[in-house]
Amino acid sequence: MDQGPSRRRIRMLLIFVAIVVIAMVVQLIRVQFGPYAPAFAAIEEIVAEQVDKVEPTRGLIYDRDGRVLASNVPLYYLEVEVRQLTEVSKKQIAAVLSQILILPFDDLYGQLSYEWVDEGQLRIRLTREISGGNRWPITVDQTVADVLKGFLADPEAPDLSGMSLVPAPSRTYPAGSLAGHVIGFVNQKGKGYFGIEGYYDDWLVGRSITIERGYIPLEARLRPDPPAGVNLVLTIDLDIQQMVEDILEEAIEGDKAESGQVIVMDPRNGEILAMAIWPPLDPNNYEPWLPPEERLEEEVSEDEEEPVINPAVAGQYEPGSTFKVVTMAAALDAGVVTPDEEFIDTGHIEVGGHTIRNWDGSAWGPQTMLGCLEHSLNVCLAYVSSEKLGASLFYEYLRAFGIGKVTGIDLAGEVSGQLRTPRHPDWTESDLGTNSFGQGVSVTPIQLVSAVGAIANHGVMVQPHVVLEVVGPDGVYWPKTTVLGQPVSRETAETLTEMLSQSLSGETNFAHVVGYQLAGKTGTAQIPGEFGYDPRWTVASFVGWGPVREPEFLVFVRLDKPETSPWGSVVAAPVFREIVERLVIMLEIPPDAVYEGWNTGD
Amino acid sequence: MRHRFQAFKQAPWRVQVRLTSGSMLPLIALLIVGGMYLAVNARHARAGRQVLNLQGQQADLVRYNAELGATLAELTSPERMYQRALDLGFRPAYASEIEYILIEDYVEPPPFIAPRPPASANPGEGTLSPAYTETLGEWLLRWLGW
Repeated sequence: MDQGPSRRRIRMLLIFVAIVVIAMVVQLIRVQFGPYAPAFAAIEEIVAEQVDKVEPTRGLIYDRDGRVLASNVPLYYLEVEVRQLTEVSKKQIAAVLSQILILPFDDLYGQLSYEWVDEGQLRIRLTREISGGNRWPITVDQTVADVLKGFLADPEAPDLSGMSLVPAPSRTYPAGSLAGHVIGFVNQKGKGYFGIEGYYDDWLVGRSITIERGYIPLEARLRPDPPAGVNLVLTIDLDIQQMVEDILEEAIEGDKAESGQVIVMDPRNGEILAMAIWPPLDPNNYEPWLPPEERLEEEVSEDEEEPVINPAVAGQYEPGSTFKVVTMAAALDAGVVTPDEEFIDTGHIEVGGHTIRNWDGSAWGPQTMLGCLEHSLNVCLAYVSSEKLGASLFYEYLRAFGIGKVTGIDLAGEVSGQLRTPRHPDWTESDLGTNSFGQGVSVTPIQLVSAVGAIANHGVMVQPHVVLEVVGPDGVYWPKTTVLGQPVSRETAETLTEMLSQSLSGETNFAHVVGYQLAGKTGTAQIPGEFGYDPRWTVASFVGWGPVREPEFLVFVRLDKPETSPWGSVVAAPVFREIVERLVIMLEIPPDAVYEGWNTGD
Repeated sequence: MRHRFQAFKQAPWRVQVRLTSGSMLPLIALLIVGGMYLAVNARHARAGRQVLNLQGQQADLVRYNAELGATLAELTSPERMYQRALDLGFRPAYASEIEYILIEDYVEPPPFIAPRPPASANPGEGTLSPAYTETLGEWLLRWLGW
């Protein structure tokens, strides 16, 4: 039997197998130990295991009824893998982007044609020129991204080879400038500034994590989610906020005022229902409000004043006559005066060598303490602080009311105001007289709201706050009402409320709301400057609360430099009335007569 | 011994076949194991690709959802709703037009509770069937009951 062919076939098969095995071994040795071994090792390092940084979603912000105030939407950066570009795709990418985004073709083409590889850059992010020759990454929204994605997927469309869309979260504020100062904003780097965004930045941002994923072989493993930022529900009622902002804007325009603020608070628990600031801040266009160090030099002009972010918590001013509420509360609580106590007003009083006069310069003759408040007599209140209370007791009460201290409201940027006490080297005895009617002492609107809120809340002062609910991965947390103290007794607070209710009707009719008994006080403050008080301008304000039977709201109104009239009773009180007329409807507070009818069974 | 020598002389290919098959068998066994390993790895890689694709889809959906949420919030902002109400012929009520009715045992609606942050729905490491993650050795040990 001839076995020749069979043997040859077996031999050939063995030789073939041997060649294949030897080739594989040689290739393995070459990869592992050959001259290209470091290059292969580097590729393996890059590809075999990639480290990804996973950013959590920034927490959302809602109003108290669940309407979204701050949300996240995707923006896309345009990135290019330069090695994938062809001469055609360079031109077509530049042409498409210049058409859609209205950007100069030459600038885009220049970026695409630059020899990035020589500089070791294989992937670039396309940028656009902004003022002063600076460049900023180009971002496109979802609509433009969808168009570009369509081009990338369509072989008939312009050749965009090499370009990719890289999503990046961006903050959006659906209500626009509504409550903008309360919310604050987030810059392009994801950092929160001012308001809630600034104060709760660490909570909202969550925590990014890095994960390592093997790509050779591709790991079948779910990606762990990074700890997300918390969602916040605010005490703000967006309907009330809108109403208040509309009325404030009308007042600013009508009275030709420079700026203004309105705060609406529930004095029982310190919940801020609305905080309107003019001029408004649009968090979607936050660049003008960035701190100078964050802005480009050429955008900051030399004569430009730095804007005060949320003047309701950071804008100090001399409160004027609204401060008389605090002085009278102190005197009543200390028992040094009674509502009916008589004072003979001669039109002037000297305290510490400084002569104090009334707002109209006239003498009002015999007045009760009620009359002093009703006619807003500076002389009477200076008499109460200097002759009745004395410095020690007076400043002790001011401290108890939180004057000169931050309230601790959960909004970024709060300042403490300025209160000079006898321990201060610059304090003089005349301060005792002027401080009694709100001169020589500076407060922030929120401080005054907090202090006067104590009178409205039967003597108990609560901390104003803006966050109602914190919802984190572990559950829901409701911050409790923080009691800051009880500067005056319940009886004092109720007596003063009654006095201010009566005096209000005598002081100004502009704050009267039909059907509701309210209490309040006007304020007209001069503005201190480098060379004393400015004779041209005032700060007109009003603080009031109601209904007196059981206060549910406190409204503070401040208008800076009104042109039509300098008086708080003329320009600020009508704003208060207009707000309260809407507020009682929105808060479903029945008129006094209806309420009494329910209680008496009629 | 003599018979075997004689057999070799008569049919030497028998011994060669035996030798060849003897050396090929381990190679074939190795190839089979290698093939199985490759098949499992391929399945693993395919599953990994699917996971990546699904994660990409999930991210797209989350983005789309956020976009819709923002649009909805914009469309229902108080300013727009107020304008729509005015366009429909409504106007704000005056206090004198409102009648208050006392309802005994009225229960106020519960306060709004925000949804939990979406990313926290799946905290920590992901959970996948061990079928996708266990090694051949682990599978063998499990199969052998060790």
